[in-house]
Amino acid sequence: MKMPRNLALTGVLATSLVLTGCGGSGAENDEAAGADGATGEVTMWVYPILTDEAANKKFWADTVQKFKTSNPGIDVTVEVYPWAKRDEALAAAIASNTAPDVVYLVPDQVPVYARSLETIDSMASEDALNDTQDNAKAAATVDGKLVGMPLLTSVTTLVCDKRAFKKAGVSTYPTTWDEYLALGPTFKAQGIDLSLITADASGTLNVSYYPLLWQAGGDVLNDDKTAAAFNEAPGVEALDYFKKMYDGGFINKDYVIKAAPTEQTGVAKGTVACTWGVPTQDLVKLWGAENMEVLPPLNKAESVGYGTVGSLSMLKSTENKEAAMKWIEFATTPENSKPLLTAASFYSPRESAGSLYPAGSVDAALEKLVPEMTVGAVNDKSRAVMGVLTPEIQAAVIGKKTSQQALDDAAKAADALMK
Amino acid sequence: MTHPVHQPPQPRVTSRRRLRLDTGTPDAGGSRLGRAVRLGTLALMAVLTFFPFYAMVLISFKPAGAVDFPGILAPWNLELSAYQRVLGGSDLIRWFINSVIYSLVSVVLVLLLATLAGYAFAKKRFPGRSGLFWSFLAMVMVPYHVTLIPTFAMLSQLHGVSTWWGLILPTIANAQAVFLMRQFILGIPDDLFEAARIDGASELRTFFTLVVPLCRPILATLGVFVFLWHWNDFLWPLIMARKTDMWTLTVGVSSLQEQAAPFNVVFAGATLSLAPVFIAYLFAQRHFVEGVASTGIKG
Amino acid sequence: MSAHPALSEAPPRGEPSAVPRPDGPSPVRPRRLLSHRRREAYAGLLFVLPMALLFIIFRFGPSLAGLLLGFFDYYPGDTPEFVGVENFKRLAEDPNFWTALKVTLIFGFLSVPTGLAISTVMALLVRRGSRTVNFFRSVYFLPVITSLVVAAAVFGWFFSTGGPVSSVQSALGLGDASWLRSETLVILALVVVNVWTRYGYGMLILLARLQDQPRELEDAMRTDGASSMQRFRHLTLPHLRPALFFLAVIETTASFQIFDLVYLMTGGGPARASHTLVLDLYERGFRNLEFGMASAIGGVLFVLTLVVAGIQHFMLGRDRT
Repeated sequence: MKMPRNLALTGVLATSLVLTGCGGSGAENDEAAGADGATGEVTMWVYPILTDEAANKKFWADTVQKFKTSNPGIDVTVEVYPWAKRDEALAAAIASNTAPDVVYLVPDQVPVYARSLETIDSMASEDALNDTQDNAKAAATVDGKLVGMPLLTSVTTLVCDKRAFKKAGVSTYPTTWDEYLALGPTFKAQGIDLSLITADASGTLNVSYYPLLWQAGGDVLNDDKTAAAFNEAPGVEALDYFKKMYDGGFINKDYVIKAAPTEQTGVAKGTVACTWGVPTQDLVKLWGAENMEVLPPLNKAESVGYGTVGSLSMLKSTENKEAAMKWIEFATTPENSKPLLTAASFYSPRESAGSLYPAGSVDAALEKLVPEMTVGAVNDKSRAVMGVLTPEIQAAVIGKKTSQQALDDAAKAADALMK
Repeated sequence: MTHPVHQPPQPRVTSRRRLRLDTGTPDAGGSRLGRAVRLGTLALMAVLTFFPFYAMVLISFKPAGAVDFPGILAPWNLELSAYQRVLGGSDLIRWFINSVIYSLVSVVLVLLLATLAGYAFAKKRFPGRSGLFWSFLAMVMVPYHVTLIPTFAMLSQLHGVSTWWGLILPTIANAQAVFLMRQFILGIPDDLFEAARIDGASELRTFFTLVVPLCRPILATLGVFVFLWHWNDFLWPLIMARKTDMWTLTVGVSSLQEQAAPFNVVFAGATLSLAPVFIAYLFAQRHFVEGVASTGIKG
Repeated sequence: MSAHPALSEAPPRGEPSAVPRPDGPSPVRPRRLLSHRRREAYAGLLFVLPMALLFIIFRFGPSLAGLLLGFFDYYPGDTPEFVGVENFKRLAEDPNFWTALKVTLIFGFLSVPTGLAISTVMALLVRRGSRTVNFFRSVYFLPVITSLVVAAAVFGWFFSTGGPVSSVQSALGLGDASWLRSETLVILALVVVNVWTRYGYGMLILLARLQDQPRELEDAMRTDGASSMQRFRHLTLPHLRPALFFLAVIETTASFQIFDLVYLMTGGGPARASHTLVLDLYERGFRNLEFGMASAIGGVLFVLTLVVAGIQHFMLGRDRT
């Protein structure tokens, strides 16, 4: 279809407007930084981390208020955005130079946006950096540069339903892969699934296949993070293990393709023995803390699980970088973040935080496992790598390919992405 | 071809007669068996159609917890907790009003401009008509995700972010609506326009007294859908309205939900936000069906 | 200027009067005819103008920009880097792209005719309003306003292992595996749900069109002893043709661009068996921020849809004279 010339012209004009990076009109903060640099406006996007809207709003309002008393020159605006379509909203804002100054990101997102994020190694105070646990810092580090300040962490470990164990007459809890898999038939006889595991292409592998991969002693990428490593022996072993659970009928087979919302799964009905992918707050609601047996992550070569890390990142387009950094440090300090963490069952990535939870509680047990958690090897293509790997995992599990072949195919595609 | 042959067109009196429509009398023909088959099909489709909607409404009245199909569909053990969660938002009324503004203004503008353009494309010869029409139509075929960022970047250049015009105007350029109106106006006999012209009616008068009334059934249908598209729209208001007091209901309600919100809360949000559309539909339905028949052609 | 002569030749006419006028516009004198033509052209341009302005500003520019990005490496916020046809070459070499293309085409070619047929049948069934029919008509509108999340959840259960479909299957000795886990049946399941969510739209559009079908003609044909099939073929179908052309184009576009439903129900699985082009586009664009590649896919999809629309225009959209 030929377009009339004048229309094409308009289009090209519009294109060049978009393509040349939008001039300088985007930024809203015209205020020049003051002499000490700590003045100006800071806008931050967060998401409903607390389910209770009023509590969420109050937490941020209180924190901003407290910040204001020690930093009267800085105006902080916190916008609570929906979780849904947050990548679209953020990408559009970055593309048009209207991004917020600070944004809350999780490990899946950090590498993708790394190019737009400010490196804060030299901006953050030494104390804060030294106080933050290494695995949490690793989650906000891309290509050796720290691009976010960890605010909170979580733990995905093995959590079992005591009632299911009682019903199946199993009295010892598993610690290794072999012990766990051996329980499959016993639970199956009672109509109970061994686990809830998925390779949903619109979800993440961080709470399904990757922990198995790490437990087998492997990793997603090689040591210098330039090529896929998941097709080495541990990766194959992990995928075979997944497939054994599928073939044995120890898991709900449908969820391999598409995860269901937790309330629709056996977890809500009490027909799943253990999980390592369901947020613990949900388990508390569905099972009750008294029925939860918190165990270390399963062990093959090592015992390791995935710990999500929510961090506050500064955008490169931020005008008042010092002000933004002050705010980020303030908000991530344990004493300030504590109300948020405890209300939502998260844990502090700071060593100085100590224990936030009363001894004997589920959260206290989980909190102790924070140092065992990892996000694995990441580079700026990690999410794309996950995108090509997931369908291949499905192919292997449903029996279309062998584990080795599926992982080799995925590795080929992944290496092409990282070139 | 067995096209029935007509009287050559006469001015309006006959036209009005010719255009008399079905007035709702049940099909006179058809055996009893035929009618039973027809009713059976209708009923079966109705059940299949109704079921998920029923699930949506019912689950929204259930307590949080296991969603065990089909057990959850039993109509007891109902409560309002999900609605309390959804309605707990402090800015809910503001968001509702924003949604109403966004949807209603858009419906009025889309219907007016699409009918004008559709009429021109269908009945007026002007240079560049088919090229322009196909350029319009081609715009439906560019995937939304491709244009989203350029459109937004351009609006931010024009300082349209967080403004009402920036939110509404881009959504008025609705190729589907223009296309639909053109297709319908194509079907209006030329003789009617000829007659109006001979009567000396101005172009605008012809448009408002002839085209618009004749298009009432399709305008009512299209109006409901344009309303629905805007009312349900999430992504565009999300990225365009950068202040929470400009958020629409869809954006606002989803900003109250945790990352994996329970079904009953999600469904309560869906039910609440779709109720106005259904009410609008019930009002508009009268126009889909009776159409011109009840009003005749005012010329 | 246009590759579609059919649209520019002869003034379009409505079917009911698709009979040559006995005398034509001869009584009008040539000079008046000319000025009438000009007046008509002015009016046409003027009527199109407001919409055209909005399109030029808000559609043509961004669309062109978006499609041109297919020739660039573009990360949001950076200046795009021209790479020629590199992105398209990468697509051509990527087997996953070809799978997505195949899945999209199969989905479209199954979904569109099925949807159109059901919309047409339903419109014919509910065209004559009685109280019962009015009630049914309201019910058929419900899928249109049932949220996709809900539809995905309910149909997800419908097709799941142990759900209604699988129960029937295992009663017939076909095993109880979910359709959504089968590489062949998954598309069929998605077609069912897609048709379910969309047939009401088509039905209402056709219904609106049926409202201005002259009743007398049908009565006359009936008196002449024409069967209902004959009446449908020779009267109703030609009358519906412009609306069917509209629906064919819109439904094809919509099914080629299917995204939310697939994302919610299968995520593209199993093993890419339902991985459509827009899912691929979305992943590359908004999950990986490779907008150049995403736009290249968008460009391919755009051309594909335009070609199919051209074919549909040839088959359905031309005014037969």
